[in-house]
Amino acid sequence: MSRVFFLIREALVNLRRNLLVVAGAILAVFISLSLAFGALIVSEVLRINTLAWQEGVHVISFLKDAGSNGVPADAHEVLLTEVLTWDEVERAFYVDKAAAWVEFQEIFQGQDELLAIDPSVLPASIRIELVAIELHSSVKFKLDQQQQVVLRVQTAAEEIEQLQSLSQALNVLGIGMAVVLGLSAIVLIANTIRLAIYARRDEVEIMKLVGASNWYIRIPFLLEGLIEGVAGAALAVFVVWLGATQLARAGEGFALFRFDVGTDFFFQWVSSSAKQLLLWEHRVTTAQMLLRRSVG
Amino acid sequence: MIRLENVTKVYEGGIIAANNVTLDIQKGEFVFLVGESGSGKSTIIRLLLRDEPVTRGKVWVAGKDITTLPKWKIPFLRRSVGTVFQDYKLLPNRTVGENVAFALEVLGRPRSVIGPQVEQVLDLVGLSGMESRYPRQLSGGEQQRVSVARAFVNRPPIMLCDEPTGNLDPKTSVGIMKLLDRINRTGTTIIMATHDHAIVDAMQRRVVALDNGRVVRDEPRGRYEEEEE
Repeated sequence: MSRVFFLIREALVNLRRNLLVVAGAILAVFISLSLAFGALIVSEVLRINTLAWQEGVHVISFLKDAGSNGVPADAHEVLLTEVLTWDEVERAFYVDKAAAWVEFQEIFQGQDELLAIDPSVLPASIRIELVAIELHSSVKFKLDQQQQVVLRVQTAAEEIEQLQSLSQALNVLGIGMAVVLGLSAIVLIANTIRLAIYARRDEVEIMKLVGASNWYIRIPFLLEGLIEGVAGAALAVFVVWLGATQLARAGEGFALFRFDVGTDFFFQWVSSSAKQLLLWEHRVTTAQMLLRRSVG
Repeated sequence: MIRLENVTKVYEGGIIAANNVTLDIQKGEFVFLVGESGSGKSTIIRLLLRDEPVTRGKVWVAGKDITTLPKWKIPFLRRSVGTVFQDYKLLPNRTVGENVAFALEVLGRPRSVIGPQVEQVLDLVGLSGMESRYPRQLSGGEQQRVSVARAFVNRPPIMLCDEPTGNLDPKTSVGIMKLLDRINRTGTTIIMATHDHAIVDAMQRRVVALDNGRVVRDEPRGRYEEEEE
């Protein structure tokens, strides 16, 4: 037991004696992990936004009024039934003129001059969700065939597709940045440890002279590394979490873009910081091996 | 106790620091290794500590062949060998007491044992009451006494001293030699590398003279220089 206490005390005493080096190590972990987490957040924000854009209605088919101008009275029902049989269609529903007017009122709430229009000019429509966004052109083509009843086909699919490819590129970039920053964190940390060992080479030499086992020399370094790593990672998680929640709050006003990253994602950071810690520990051990080789 | 058999040590670059050295040292002996700088004194000390591997030959310490000792067992060898160096090798940010206790702490001795043992050994080297001083507050001779205390606190059967008086004035050196003599009288084998003529001549102990890595003289009660007939 006294051995364990001695080792822990050694680690703590060393931390206190080398405050500058310790601060440097914690800062290195903190900055590297913050940047890596930041990049992860950016790519996550992009991912949830692309998902959000992909959901919902992709194609709207506005319809000519039924029962006049040669349009059969049951034309709308017939078309909806047919649309629902198409393989490309995930879901489709009918919006009649009354519902269209309600929707119009919601959208242009407070703009009285627009609300003054005659509700009967608003067409009924069929709203279509696609199985996959790429199928929009074939659906549009099929709808355009139904000129007897279809007034106009509107699709947001092309825009979504463009956004999708853009966000995929940004996503890859974000993850790439996280990887590069993570790697630079490891290099920084390894360098800090080497400095810490170099600063205490006299002590290590004397420990070896009096017959301390290699593990006895190594464990205080490991504990120090662990403490520094946990401190830096905790700081990084806290700061990034703070930044993300602030961003989510600031982003509440935007309808088009979501900034709120889920709790699940936060757990991912914790596990990724745990991985970082393991890497840090691994570096300490490797550095010690190098040390042993150089000191003999 | 210690035996070197046809030991040769060649450093990188082809420098021959020990050339076919054969040496037998009995338990309780006090042996001076003398010779000019670069004659191979320090190399023999380092070989005995397995600080360096031998190039050829065999080295036995306390009955064990240390040339084939696996690396992880080296700490156990060093626990049975106390070491004193010219530059004291004390930790500047630890007190006298802590410096001596360090040697026991790394061996995992309980605190209840460490306290009295440190006190006892500091008394032996004549530094009672100085436990809480820092090395920088001590004279060179006192620092070397701390170093001797640290080497001996574990009661090793062997002590290796590499120029322990190299940085000290003659009077202080005599004090250190008296201390080493006392430790030797407890049955501890002492090997001391030195080029201090006065000390070797005064002590009248076994002298092994080295020149260019070879043993050129080995006398049971020798002097530093070869006696002229």
